[in-house]
Amino acid sequence: MAFVNPVPKLYRSVIEDVIEGVRDLFAEEGIEEQVLKDLKQLWETKVLQSKATEDFFRNSVHSPVFTLQLPNSLHQTLQSSTASLVIPAGRPLPSFTTAELGTSSSSASFTLSGYPIHVPAGVTLQTASGHLYKVNVPIMVTQTSGRASILHPIQQVFQQLGQPPIIQTSVPQLNPCSLHATTEKSQRIETVLQQPTILHSGTVDRKHLENATSDILAPPANEREIMSEALLSQPESSQYISLPGVVFPPQVSQTDSQVEPVLSVSGSMTQNLNGRPFSTSQQGAQHRHMSDTQLHVLKNRMFGCDSIKQQRNTEEPSNLPVSEKDSNSQMDLSIQVTDDINEIIQIDGTGDASSNDEIGSTRDVDENEFLGIIDAGDLKVLEEEADSISNEDSTANSSDNEDPQIDIVEEDPLNSGDDVSEQDVPDLFDTDNVIVCQYDKIHRSKNKWKFYLKDGVMCFGGRDYVFAKAIGDAEW
Amino acid sequence: MAYQLYRNTTLGNSLQESLDELIQITPQLALQVLLQFDKAINSALAQRVRNRVNFRGSLNTYRFCDNVWTFVLNDVEFREVTELIKVDKVKIVACDGKNTGSNTTE
Repeated sequence: MAFVNPVPKLYRSVIEDVIEGVRDLFAEEGIEEQVLKDLKQLWETKVLQSKATEDFFRNSVHSPVFTLQLPNSLHQTLQSSTASLVIPAGRPLPSFTTAELGTSSSSASFTLSGYPIHVPAGVTLQTASGHLYKVNVPIMVTQTSGRASILHPIQQVFQQLGQPPIIQTSVPQLNPCSLHATTEKSQRIETVLQQPTILHSGTVDRKHLENATSDILAPPANEREIMSEALLSQPESSQYISLPGVVFPPQVSQTDSQVEPVLSVSGSMTQNLNGRPFSTSQQGAQHRHMSDTQLHVLKNRMFGCDSIKQQRNTEEPSNLPVSEKDSNSQMDLSIQVTDDINEIIQIDGTGDASSNDEIGSTRDVDENEFLGIIDAGDLKVLEEEADSISNEDSTANSSDNEDPQIDIVEEDPLNSGDDVSEQDVPDLFDTDNVIVCQYDKIHRSKNKWKFYLKDGVMCFGGRDYVFAKAIGDAEW
Repeated sequence: MAYQLYRNTTLGNSLQESLDELIQITPQLALQVLLQFDKAINSALAQRVRNRVNFRGSLNTYRFCDNVWTFVLNDVEFREVTELIKVDKVKIVACDGKNTGSNTTE
């Protein structure tokens, strides 16, 4: 029986309901239908990009058989390993602990019945076809159907990726955005998909076997380790490595369709943009000739992606966020410069302050007056206009604004020893795992609490779950 | 009016971000859209979701203010028929579910 996740369907239905509900509202406001469509697309894209709905493409699977061979020498290692083989499912399958496997003549064979199996490090796997894989890092073994289509197995493979946190919460989620990157750059392909060498071999099996075989997928958390420990490197691996790229076009297509029209102005960007929304950040600063709205939309998209990325607990190349922010700030400057340049520069008498208010964009004036922030671009423009008063005003404002802006944080050294709170407050906001729900009843007896909750949305490490009722116990 | 509680979810946050991105949508209109979202998500959760979850853990903190419970639990196991989920820390924000009524604060 296939495992059906109700969340994607629920989300889709909510999105549809909301869009339909506001259609009239939009019409009343006189806003075009296209804006509504854009809203829907943006919304769906963001939801898809979040890990909440990784299971969108889950398919039913066959049940392959493969043999797990555990070398005797790794017996102790396995026993000491904290990972255990858990098959998450509704099926009454036994769970194998590493200890069990270690003691039972170092070999065990079992059937994957549609659920991922977590394999600890140091294990040698042998598929039914006889291929041996040595696993040096904890991996997730999933299975694929024996279909010739390349897409489905990989989809399942990446669907199963959504499961790892269940079993091993230390494994971060695969970031679809980083996978987007892999479609284009071969370097990234190598890093992300060294799990891959095993994956590749798995796909080789599929060539030989018509029936289902098993693909082995290593969590991306270990990609760097795997890179140095890859045992099987095949020349054909590049074909398969590009498979993840193949998968994501269904997801990425929406992004592409949104982004491409925006970036039609600059041809060089679109190539990189396909499947690599983040790469644009590196080139963003170069395109100063784009129109304001396009820049604005692009910037917001990047901000949007940026914020999504920040919400996730993923492994991403460290250079990406930094470069994004740098180029974003560059883009800020470029936008303001273009704003000012595009507007009519009026060089009136020096005593005319009000006309400058009209000239400069509202944003610039507001910033100067209220935020005391003077961008290099603004200063340049203001100087060009040769309006000394506005400069004086802005500098005066900036100096005025600095004082209130100086936040003086003084911790009270007295009585600090009485503080037992362990700084709970920042921790409260720091969690990735949130449940938003309603309570029917909250009960407490001494320090035993019982929770009767309903209609909740749970988000664990980015993945979403829902419940109609939840009952819980906790001890304080 | 439905609870605005669910705006801080993946779905709600992505909607808010999308509304912010589209400059043609005025703030007032965005608010209307969010209100519509509140209604839709509340009714969808009440009607279309049918599953149950059990959980067990240890309670780190609890807070009850304005009829809203906020808990932080540690080392929690969430058990559903189909799967088991373990987390080190989870924050639960719960509004009063007895009368899905007039409370508009999150």
